[in-house]
Order: sequence, then C-alpha cells, then structure tokens
Amino acid sequence: MVNEVRALLREAAQTSPQDETDLSAVLAGGRRRVRRRRLVVVGAVAAVAAAGTAVAVVAPGGTDPDRVAEHRVPRPDGPVLRLSDAGRAVAGRDYERVAAFTNKNLVWKNGRTFDGVTEDGQILIVELANDITNQARLALRDPATGRDDWLPDIAPQLRPRPISLGRDRLVFSVDEGLDVPLRTLVLDRATRTWSQRTWPGLPSSESYATATGPDGRLYVGVRASAGSPPPGGWPTGPDGEAEDAGGEGDTYDLWSVSLTDSSDVRDEGLRVGSFDFTDTALVWSAATNGTNDRIHVRDLATGAEHDFDPRSGKRCNLLGFSATGDRIVLGQYCGTYDDGRDDRVQVLTTQGRTVTTLQGDSIDGGLADGGTGGGGHLVAVQAWSGAEEGTYVYDLATDRFLRLTDSVSTYSVGGPTPAGELLVGTAYGEGKAQDPDPGMDLGSTQTLIRWAS
Amino acid sequence: MRDEETFVAFAQGARERLRRTAYLMCGDWDRASDHVQEGLIRVYVAWPRLEKAGREHAYARKAVVSAVLDAARRRSSRELVVETGPDRPAAGDLAETVTARAALLAALAELPARQRACVVLRYFEDLSVADTAAALGCSQGTVKSQTARALDRLRSLFEDSPLGELTVAGGTSW
Repeated sequence: MVNEVRALLREAAQTSPQDETDLSAVLAGGRRRVRRRRLVVVGAVAAVAAAGTAVAVVAPGGTDPDRVAEHRVPRPDGPVLRLSDAGRAVAGRDYERVAAFTNKNLVWKNGRTFDGVTEDGQILIVELANDITNQARLALRDPATGRDDWLPDIAPQLRPRPISLGRDRLVFSVDEGLDVPLRTLVLDRATRTWSQRTWPGLPSSESYATATGPDGRLYVGVRASAGSPPPGGWPTGPDGEAEDAGGEGDTYDLWSVSLTDSSDVRDEGLRVGSFDFTDTALVWSAATNGTNDRIHVRDLATGAEHDFDPRSGKRCNLLGFSATGDRIVLGQYCGTYDDGRDDRVQVLTTQGRTVTTLQGDSIDGGLADGGTGGGGHLVAVQAWSGAEEGTYVYDLATDRFLRLTDSVSTYSVGGPTPAGELLVGTAYGEGKAQDPDPGMDLGSTQTLIRWAS
Repeated sequence: MRDEETFVAFAQGARERLRRTAYLMCGDWDRASDHVQEGLIRVYVAWPRLEKAGREHAYARKAVVSAVLDAARRRSSRELVVETGPDRPAAGDLAETVTARAALLAALAELPARQRACVVLRYFEDLSVADTAAALGCSQGTVKSQTARALDRLRSLFEDSPLGELTVAGGTSW
C-alpha cells in the first residue's frame, strides 16, 4: 500500500470540529497589545541593565562553576575571530560594485534573481513565472552594457540550478524531487541549444551531492546512509528549538559521470561525507550533516593520501564544506547555550592546521567565489541578528576580515561566481530580524561585488 | 483609528485554514484555536502596515506558526519536544493505528516541533522552500535539512508498520 503525505495531511485536517475562535477576544487582545507595546520601549532600558548585572554575577564562576562552563558557548581550539574583530569594507578601496538588481516582491511573485556569473563575466538571470507553470526563463546579462540576452526556452516545470557556468557551456541540475535519477540540463553556448542528460548506470538516490572535478567530470555523491535522531526525538535547547548539535552524520558513495556521454559512469569506490576539489586534490570529510572527526586529502597527480582530525568541537555538525588552494572551509553548527548559538566557520590548511575559526551567534558562512572556474579565496559570512547583522568577508589570500553590509536577505539567492567576485544579498522591505514583531522581507537586493585582493 | 472592519473580514476568511495548519502542527483542535487566536492578535498589531503592503495572508500564517512554536518553546529544556494531544493515537506502535491518516498524525507527534512545521508548511500549505524558510525565520538550508530528516523519520515509522510505504507525490521541488 502506498500512502501519500499531502493526501494524508489534507484528510487529517478535513474533519474539523466547530471553530470557536472568538474574534471579539482577538480584537480585545489586539487593542491591549497595541497599547502595551508603546510601554515596552521604556521598559527595555531597565531590562538591559538587569541582564548586565546578572552576567556580572555569574561570569566569574557563581555558585556553580560547572554549570556555567557547561552552558556557555565554548571557545574553539586555535585562533578565533569574532564579528566584532571585522573592519569596515570601503567601496573603491576594498571592493567595487559591478552590478545590482532589486526584486521588490519575492514574497508574492517569484520574478528575477541573479543566479550566478559565468567564467567570462556574464550574469545569469533566472526569471520564474508566478503561476502554475512555474516556467523558468534564463538570460545572460552583460554587466558592462546592462543588456540581457534571453536564452532559448527550456521545458516547463524545470527549475535549473547552476552547477558550472563555463565559456562554452552552462550546466544545471534539474530539481525533480526525491528518489529520481540525477538529470542535468546543458546549454551549448556556441549553438544555443539545450540538451538533457541522465546516466542509467548511476544509482538513484534520495539526494545527491555534486562537484565538478578538475578533469571536467561531474562527481556525484549518492546517499549511502542518513543519520537518525536519538530515540524519542531531539531534546529541546535553551532557545526552545530542537537541539540537534552533535548529531549522527550522513554519508555518500562517490561516483563520477561524463557530462557528454550518458554511458560513462564510474564508481569511485569511496565513501565520503562532503567533498570538494582544489586544482590538485580531492578533499573529503568522513561524514556530513552531523559530527565529523576526519578529513582526507588525495593528491590527484600521485594518488597519495593523508588524513587528519580537524579538531572541530565535539558537538559541531558539519553543514558546509569547500576546498580551494591549500585551504579547507567548514561551516558548522555546534549547539545552543544559555548565551547563544555556537556557529562556526573553521578555516584549515590541507595539512590540518586551523588557520582561524570565525565564531558567532547566528552566523552562517562558506567559500563564496570560485564556483565558476575555481581559485576562490573569499569566505562570506552572513550574520542574521542584532546589531551585527550583515555580510562579512574573510579573504583567505590576505587573512583580512571586513564587514561588507549591515543587512542580510531572508532569501537564499545567488549562485557560482568566478574567483574574486561574489553575489551579496541584502533585505528589501521590512522584516529585519531584530524587529519586535518581524515580518518577512518583501524582496531582496543582489549586488555583484568585485573584491580587491 | 484602526480599520477593524477589514481586519475582521480578513480574520473570518482566514481563520479556518489557519486552524487546520495549526492543528497539524500541534495535534489538538482546541489548542489549534488558541494558537490561531494568538496569531490573529499578532496580525492585528501589525495590521496597518500589512494591509498597506498586501501581505496579510503570509504574515498571518507566519504568526500562527510562530505561536505554535512559541508554545513548544515554553517547555522545560529537559523535556522532549513531543506534543501529543487527545486527537492523536499514542505514538510508537503504528501497527495498532486504524488508518494511515491517524498513523501520520502519530508519526508527526514524534517529530521535533520545527521539523513538524517544515512538513506541514511544505506539504499541507504547499509552500516552496523559500516561503517555508521565510515563514519559519530560518535559512533555506535549514528547511531542507529539517524536512529531509522529518521525511526520513516518517518513512521509517511507516516502513515498520503494516500500512505500507509513505511517499511524496511530485517530489519536494528542491
């Protein structure tokens, strides 16, 4: 018997008893709250002062030093950078704006977004229709002239996600859901023709991970195992969220396929967590989306391998993974404590030395450039809340850490870019996270930045 | 002066759908009504700017989801995030549940509140990953990972029961 989630949910909610929601109570409650909110502004000053006092008492050890040690964000091994260590990026000195686009109504209409930049500097624009067809149209914009070159139509219902944006061809994965064969959509830029490709010899998977190798092949992770929640579900963290730090990770079997030959499928005979390529090495973790205690590096020329413990915290779930040159960048969530979330972006050498860990509350980051053509060196960090909200850039080439914006978009839009360029999203419209009653952003402004290294 | 007439008209039209969403998230019709009431109060507070921007429905859904999650949040940090209401069969032994629908409700009850919210928003409200992320105030990556984990768990619970396979028609569109 087959049971479909959507149908079961609709059935379950169909037979509702009489709704006794009292709208007069809603109105009365609403009126009270409008009045109270005006008082909160005055009360907030006292609340901040009280919190400061409490910290001063507890921080030196208090009556239960073990509890303080256990429930406060721990310091990672090695050098640490915090958002407050960042200088201010200055336009004209540290970077230049190449192009910008504001979608003013992402919340209701899909519309256009920048989805990446090609190797020859053209901006990929994707326009999604706001109707049942969900038809996508793609264009390449020349940032010098602002002219859009609309590409031939693709089949309806396909949502292409860029994998590589080369001078000769654009390669996209096509989202079709779970347990379906991997499919790519390729545009030959010379002939302006689309082709679709699947690989009958590649195992189906609930989810795939992909990376383009220096040999031009597409490397595909086929899910081998998925971490499970502990018996009885995840516990609740101090913030009331399900606390899944220190979770069991997922693994993938590594395969590779030719982008031009559907019969060319190769089992690489390797079980990995996350994986990525530098110009000369394949780098992989033992597990992903959970704790990971091993990173492996294989020299592509000689086949020589070495591995090391990245010494990430014991509770750190590996969420982001990229490698470039002799650097590896790990995005991690390491738990929630009484004094906030422990989010980290750890930068290591391929020999296993931690260069720095960017640590903060509600931050998320990873390598932001080089997705087109390789050679990236810019780690973008988004900070989501409070006065530190914004996008920050850590330059692997110079170790400079600078704050680029004071706003982040609630929408994850963007795509691969050449080395030295990054797409940065800022909020358009209301909905800043620190608002007492936040709404969502109406839209997003995307800016293509060229970094001065 | 607030435009209460238009707010009341909106609330009357929206509350049943909101209550169904809240019910799937908390498993109890009475508590769902409470959550909708709290959510609509939040909508009332924000009403002038919402009406002007034409964002009433999305905001109301976000407010109700937030009210449900806030209720789970008030629990002890030692307690598991499992909310079992009288409308649900006991979680655990799905072989004894009468229908697949009841089994799904029981299985949902075993999920953390946020994972449950992801499933309900994605597959009952049919929201995109981006819209679900906006409704939950988290990143799209979090929605994807939480939804995937939730589906894994739901599937494994069905696999262990005589009810058969649990599927998602049309995939997850990411």
